[in-house]
Amino acid sequence: MLMQTQVNDDRDALLRRQKLLADFGDFSLQSEDLNEVLTEACRVIAEALNVSRGKVLEIEEDGKSLFMRVGVGWSEDIVGSTHIPMGENSSESFAIKAGRPVISRNIHEETRFDVPDFMKEEGVVALANVPIFLPGKRAYGLLQVDHTEPRDFDESDTEFLRTYAAILGPVVDRLFKIDALSAADEQFRLTVEAATDYAILMTDRDSRITDWLPGASAVFGWSAEEVLGRDISFLFTPEDRAAGVPEQEVKMALETGSARDVRDHLCKDGSRVFIEGVARVLHDTKGNHRGFIKIGQDASERRESDRSLRESEERYRLLTSLVPALLWQTDALGCGFELSPNWLDYTGQTPSEAQGTGWLDAIHPEDRKKTKFLFAEARLTGEPVVHQHRISSSDGAYRWFLIRQVPQRDDLGWIQRWFGAATDIHELHEMQARQEVMVAELQHRTRNLIGVVQSISNQTMARTGPTEAFRKQFNARLASLSRVQGLLSRADQEPITLRQIFDLELEAVGASGNPNVTLDGPTVTVRPILIQTLALAIHELATNARKHGALSANGGRLDVTWKLRGHDGECWICMDWQESGLVRDAPGKTDATDGFGRQLIERALPHTLGAQTSFDLGPDSLRCTIELPRDNPQKPKEVSI
Amino acid sequence: MTSSNMDGRKVLLVEDDFIIAMDVAASLEEDGASVIGPASTVPIALDLIGKTEDLDGAILDVNIRDSTSFEIADALQAQGVPFIFVTGYDTSVVPERYAGVSVCQKPFDMALCSSLLFK
Repeated sequence: MLMQTQVNDDRDALLRRQKLLADFGDFSLQSEDLNEVLTEACRVIAEALNVSRGKVLEIEEDGKSLFMRVGVGWSEDIVGSTHIPMGENSSESFAIKAGRPVISRNIHEETRFDVPDFMKEEGVVALANVPIFLPGKRAYGLLQVDHTEPRDFDESDTEFLRTYAAILGPVVDRLFKIDALSAADEQFRLTVEAATDYAILMTDRDSRITDWLPGASAVFGWSAEEVLGRDISFLFTPEDRAAGVPEQEVKMALETGSARDVRDHLCKDGSRVFIEGVARVLHDTKGNHRGFIKIGQDASERRESDRSLRESEERYRLLTSLVPALLWQTDALGCGFELSPNWLDYTGQTPSEAQGTGWLDAIHPEDRKKTKFLFAEARLTGEPVVHQHRISSSDGAYRWFLIRQVPQRDDLGWIQRWFGAATDIHELHEMQARQEVMVAELQHRTRNLIGVVQSISNQTMARTGPTEAFRKQFNARLASLSRVQGLLSRADQEPITLRQIFDLELEAVGASGNPNVTLDGPTVTVRPILIQTLALAIHELATNARKHGALSANGGRLDVTWKLRGHDGECWICMDWQESGLVRDAPGKTDATDGFGRQLIERALPHTLGAQTSFDLGPDSLRCTIELPRDNPQKPKEVSI
Repeated sequence: MTSSNMDGRKVLLVEDDFIIAMDVAASLEEDGASVIGPASTVPIALDLIGKTEDLDGAILDVNIRDSTSFEIADALQAQGVPFIFVTGYDTSVVPERYAGVSVCQKPFDMALCSSLLFK
C-alpha cells in the first residue's frame, strides 16, 4: 500500500510536472518578451520542485561574469542588477563545464565548488544549477534554484531539470532571433523613412499601393492614408497613361526583373516632378511574384542643371559664332579637334575633314611645316603657341592669320585641353607690305632729292660763282624743292592738281591776289613723278617774271591757261604762260631765263618728262608753252648736253 | 679732280632726272670723258649703244621713268662693256644675276663711280 501510494504520488508529481511544462510551452509561444518568459520559467521550476527561489543567470559578453536577469523569491534590488564573477571554482562554471544539472544538497558541505557569500547571506542551503545551451551547444547561462533548508533532489528531479533545460535553450534562442529581427526591421524602417529624398513605395501584383513610405509623401505630397490601395497609375501624367506607360513598365519589370522609370510624375498639388527611378519585382519566400517596389528620386534639379549646362554650351556656341576669330579646342595630346563653325565656314572643310591632321590641309604649303613643328613642340613643352600662317579660304585664296593657342591646366598643373584662336591679320600684313614699299620709296625720293640739290648747287655755282647771287638763287630753288616735297607727301591722300602748283609758285613770289594775273584751265591731276621737275620749271618762270617781267615793279600782265589735248592717242597737258605789256629795263639785258631756268624748260622737261616746250621772248612779251603726256611720259625728246 | 682714268673714254650715262644728269655729265667731261647721252629711257639708251663705236663704259640709274635699266645692262654685258648701277633705292634692288656689278647709292660720288667703273 505504501508502495502503491508512493507510485501514485510519483505519478501525480510527474503529471503535475508534465502539465507545468506544457503550460510553460504555451506561455513561451505567446510571449516575445525574454524577461517575461524567463521569469515564468523560474516560477514554474520553483513550483515544480517545490523550492522557494529560482533565477536565471546570463553569461555576460566578457564571458567572465554572470548577470542575474530574472528571479523569483529574491528581493527586488538583487534581480536585474546583480553581476556574479564566474570564478574557476564557482558552482555555475562547474555546471556549464559539466553540461548537465549540478545539485548541492547543502552548500556548507560542498567541496566541488565555492558558493558566493551573498547566497549564504540570503540563507541558501541547497541548490541546483541547470545550464542552458542555445542550439549549437553555445552556453547561454544557468537556471538556478535553491532552498533555505538542506534538500535532497532525487533522480526524477534531476531528469526534470534536464528536460527543462533542453526546452529552455530553443525558447531563449527563438526570443533572441525575434529580438534581432525586430532590431533589423527597426533599422530598415528608420533607414527608408529617413530617406525622404527617395520616394519608396510598394504595390501588390495588381499595382495597388501597399506601402507608402515617408519619402514618397515628401516627393509626391500624398499621405499614406490617401493612397494605400489605389492603383499606382494615378502618379503618371495623363499623356503617359494614355500612351500605356504604366502597363509597359509592369511588363518590362516582369520580363527582366526591373524597369527604369525616368519621366515626369504628378504630385498632389497638380505640379509635376521629374523622377529618376526604377521598379523591381518583389517575390515571396517561395519565389512567387507578389508585387513591385518602386524607388525613385526627384531629379528636377539635376535636370534643371543639365538644362543650364546645355544653355551655357549654346551660349558658348553662339558667342564663338559671333567672334570673327576661328576657334578650336583639342585634348591634351592635340587630338579630338573641336572647331568653331566659322573655321568650317571659312575653310570650307567638313568637321571630319578637319580631324586629326586634316586641318593642316587648309594651311599654306609654305607655312605647314613650321606650323606642324610649333604645335608638336607646344605639346611637349606645354607653352602657348604664338605664330602667323596663311589659311586657305573656301574659294582657295590664302589670308594671313595670327595663331594663338593656350593650355588649360588642372589643379595639379596637368594640361587638360588646348584652346586656340586664329585672328585674320591679312589687312595688317598688306599694310605692313605697303609700308615697306613706302619706306623704300621715301628713301629713294630723299636720295634723289639730295642728288638734285647737289646738282642745282653745282650748276648755280657754275653760273654765279661764290657770290651773294648764288645764295639768293640757290635758297629760292631749295625753297621751291621744299614746297614740292610738301605737296608730294600728301599726294597719296589728295591728288595734286596743276592749279595747285601754279598757285604755290606764284604765291612764293608774292603774286597771289594780283589783279594782273589770271589762271584758267580745267581741273587736271598731275602724277607725282611729273611734279618735281615741272614745279621747278614753273618756279623759274615765276622768279623771272618777278624780277624782269609781269610781276616786277614795271608792271604787265600774266595769263596762264592750260587744257587737255589728244596727241598720238595719248592725253597731253598743254600749258601756256603768257606775259604781256612788259617794259624792259634795258633791251637785251640777260635775264635768268637765259641760264638755269631756260635749261630746265628747254632741256630738262623734254629729257625727264618727255615734254615739248617753246620759249619766246618778244620786245614787250614772254611766251612759254609746255606740253607733256599726262599719263605715261615714255616718249621723251632726245637732247644733248 | 682726281687724276683721271676717265681720260678719253666714251661713257654712256643713263639718268632720267635731267638736273642730276647735267651735273654728272659736267663732272665726267671735266675728267676728260666724252659723255654719250644722257639717256632717260631704255629705247634711247639701246639706240645710243647701237650707234656708238668703242663704248668704254656706262653708268646706269636703276630706275628710269616707270621702268628699269636692266635691259640696257644686258645689252652692255653682251658686248663686254663694263658698267655700274646707281640707285636711290637699297642696293638689294639689283638682281643676283649682276652679282659682279658695282652698285652705288645716290647722291652721286663721281670719284667713287669712276674708280668702280674702271678698276
